[in-house]
Amino acid sequence: MSAGAKLRLSRRDLIGFASGMVVSFPLLARSDMINSATSVATVPPPPDAAKLYAWLAVHPDNTATLYTGKVDVGTGAQTALAQIAAEELDFPIDRLSVVMGTTSETVNQGPTYGSLTIRYAGPQIRAAAAAGRAALIERAAAHFSTHADLIEAKDGFFTVKNAPQRRISYGALVAGDRLDVTIGAKGRGFAMQVAPHAKLKNPADYRVVGQSIARKDIPAKVTGAFTYVQDVKLPGMLHGRVVRPYGVHATLLSVDENAVRQIPGFVQIVRRDNFLGVVCQTEWGAIKAAKILGSVLHPKGPQAYAAKWSNWQGLPAMQDIATVVREAPGKNATVLEHGAVDQALASAQRVLKATFESPFQMHGSIGPSCAIAEVTRERAIIWSGTQMPHQDRHDIAKLLDMNPDQLEINWFEAAGAYGRNGLDHAVADAAIMSQAVGKPVRVQWMRWDEHGWEPKGPPIVQDLEAAIDANGKVTAWKHHMWVPTLGDSTLIAAALIGHPNRVGSIGHGSPAVTYAYDFPNAQISGHDEGKVALRTAWLRSPAQFETTFAMEAFIDELAAATKSDPLQFRLDHLKDPRAIAVLRAAAAHYGWQPRPAHGKPPKNGQPAKGRGIAWVNRDDTRVATIADVIVDPASGRIQVTRVVVAQDCGLVINPDGVRNQVEGNVIQSLSRTLHEEVTFDHANVTSRDWVGYPILRFDQVPDSIEVVIVNNDPKYPSHGAGEPSTCPTAAVIANAVFDATGARLRQLPFRPARVKAALT
Amino acid sequence: MIQPITLTVNGHDHPINADPKSMLLYALRDQIGLHGPKFGCGLSECGACTVIIGGAAVHACVTPLAAAVGQKITTLEGLAENGKPNPLQQAFIDEQAAQCGYCLNGMLMTAQALITRNPHATRDDIKAALQGNLCRCGTHMRILRAVERITQPQIPTGATP
Repeated sequence: MSAGAKLRLSRRDLIGFASGMVVSFPLLARSDMINSATSVATVPPPPDAAKLYAWLAVHPDNTATLYTGKVDVGTGAQTALAQIAAEELDFPIDRLSVVMGTTSETVNQGPTYGSLTIRYAGPQIRAAAAAGRAALIERAAAHFSTHADLIEAKDGFFTVKNAPQRRISYGALVAGDRLDVTIGAKGRGFAMQVAPHAKLKNPADYRVVGQSIARKDIPAKVTGAFTYVQDVKLPGMLHGRVVRPYGVHATLLSVDENAVRQIPGFVQIVRRDNFLGVVCQTEWGAIKAAKILGSVLHPKGPQAYAAKWSNWQGLPAMQDIATVVREAPGKNATVLEHGAVDQALASAQRVLKATFESPFQMHGSIGPSCAIAEVTRERAIIWSGTQMPHQDRHDIAKLLDMNPDQLEINWFEAAGAYGRNGLDHAVADAAIMSQAVGKPVRVQWMRWDEHGWEPKGPPIVQDLEAAIDANGKVTAWKHHMWVPTLGDSTLIAAALIGHPNRVGSIGHGSPAVTYAYDFPNAQISGHDEGKVALRTAWLRSPAQFETTFAMEAFIDELAAATKSDPLQFRLDHLKDPRAIAVLRAAAAHYGWQPRPAHGKPPKNGQPAKGRGIAWVNRDDTRVATIADVIVDPASGRIQVTRVVVAQDCGLVINPDGVRNQVEGNVIQSLSRTLHEEVTFDHANVTSRDWVGYPILRFDQVPDSIEVVIVNNDPKYPSHGAGEPSTCPTAAVIANAVFDATGARLRQLPFRPARVKAALT
Repeated sequence: MIQPITLTVNGHDHPINADPKSMLLYALRDQIGLHGPKFGCGLSECGACTVIIGGAAVHACVTPLAAAVGQKITTLEGLAENGKPNPLQQAFIDEQAAQCGYCLNGMLMTAQALITRNPHATRDDIKAALQGNLCRCGTHMRILRAVERITQPQIPTGATP
């Protein structure tokens, strides 16, 4: 295929069916629309959510399209949402394609984050599809001059009851018409209620929901036919690279443009205050020019390249970060308080205390952030893999001092982001560069831009304290956490051009925890902080990965102190039936034999085996995880051999999709547990590639990850599956290491040197 | 500096104008218009850009065009047989061995090179071959099972619950 062929295409032109076939629909041609937009001031706004055509289109070849403002970040949401729509519409799933995210074609259903897509967008799409089915049945009744009660819908065809020869396909019935039917919608985003009067199918009749339907995106991804945002090309598109400050808040002193003018295809240096970018006709030219200006893996200093920066050295010493987090200004907030914790602790027979620390960690997308922007005076058209295209439409409008009606975000999938990585920031970079050169510009961050500048998950410090009575029961529980902001929504480029407050806000941390034990006296509180040292944003199971580590590792310490079986000890302090159910399900599948943790040093320095257990209630999804480990005292290396996860996320739309997510969460969180720590000096992040920031590789994957799905029943609404199973992992491994060796690991990550130190 | 170069990719000659010191990845993506090889790191650290040259898995992000001229280069697009996914690609589909899929090019090309030189590769062989390929979504278990479908077909599928 020629480089120019796939250019001005949106997802609508590139819809792939499960077969991997790529087809285009005889709809309004995107390419025409974009070309014609050159002469008009505005771009199409999102469609009216109260109209059926905002959600569904039926085409003459009896295929259909679902439109959703949600996006797929690699979790399979596209297929799961299609299942929900196909089910209510009684339409074949393999003939239903999905358009996601693009702001001119989809309704804003809120950003795709928080494992909230199936939970909130699912019911919206379900109702829209049910209303669509009802509207088409009315139309079929009119077509056959009969009553709607006599129309049966199945697999994309309508038939008159008891008259099988009176049959018409959805496509023939609709005959290319836009589905201009009012179905109603009120509220916005996650809370929007769509088609409130739609009659929904009885879940007992489900035939598509609950099946492990093969994902629609995978065939094209394994053949190379898939178009990621990184693959989008526009005619006349130029290539841009950013050149970030040497130090986070350094000032740009000078740029020697002559140093890059000779590069073939050089177009322009884009400089606005401290924002520096370079635009060339070729990607290689842009990379070379950026290198000369100072975009390299390990820069040698603020003045070592053609762009000279002030010598900003304002970051705290890395080894002091826990103290910095403890001392950062913030607001104390109580999550929960009942009984009299301090009295109970003061009068207790036995009190245990522990402190848990976790470092900055990163999203670490395999594909660096990328965006394409075409910005003119009249409008800005963006191609992005953002998790929140509708939000970006407003944010980038603010950045460019435009009206949202002048913006369109065309969404294309990016490499997995697992939270807010650099994708939105790359949009801002591309927009600024395109605005400067007046042509479409593609910006892809280099690996060091991604590692160095993507917003990180924040470092968190937690103090826990508990009292145990003579019967081995917990009588008091106190958990205090210091959490820097998790939701910084400002833009890097906005700060660099001198308008740090133009878009978004820094926000503050929050004590992210669901307390679910049943202790007579308990106090859970946090210290909500703003930005501490490095830019942060939400990273998969924001703060809950860390808080679950502390809670569930500390519970394990209490169980060990009372010589209790760690499973039974948890059950003895729990009343939540769904929590008890996942713990019992995991234990049954694992073959759990009750016993206290061994907790003895390995004999003769030989590798020692251990098992660990932990669980979480993460936004009403319960997950219990059990793992086996082997700890080698000589090397300090932890090998995880077997992982069992029981998860209750309510009604499951696609069981294999849930298993895939759980497996991925386990491996990624294992990587965060064993390896991951962002390093920095006083100027900037120093872990700027995969050598500096290692992640788990094939040699450390477990022999098996076994997933048990619990309470998969229509009486429990669907809850998130994209993140919760990240939460228990660090505690599970810490607890298993204690079982194997008697060493308590309370600081992430558990790298070999730290494990060895804990063993001596 | 920029000069005429001919690359042989997936059985076809592609004349392009490029700097022979520039890396193969950008020619494949930007000039020949292929999507399979991905930019991941540009440092030969992640494997997302892998292509097969002379039977070996090679990182296109650090392979200068000068070293690729005259070689038979195969990309992910070149694995297809008669327009259909080849057995390894089909195994990835059957195992649903993808999440975001950005790393898959490297996984598939590296595994394909392994299968060619070791058709009966064991799980340990596969792990060793893929050790340089990073996956951030954590699809490792499925990738291993997909490759085993080809090299260890006697292992029942769905063996892991």
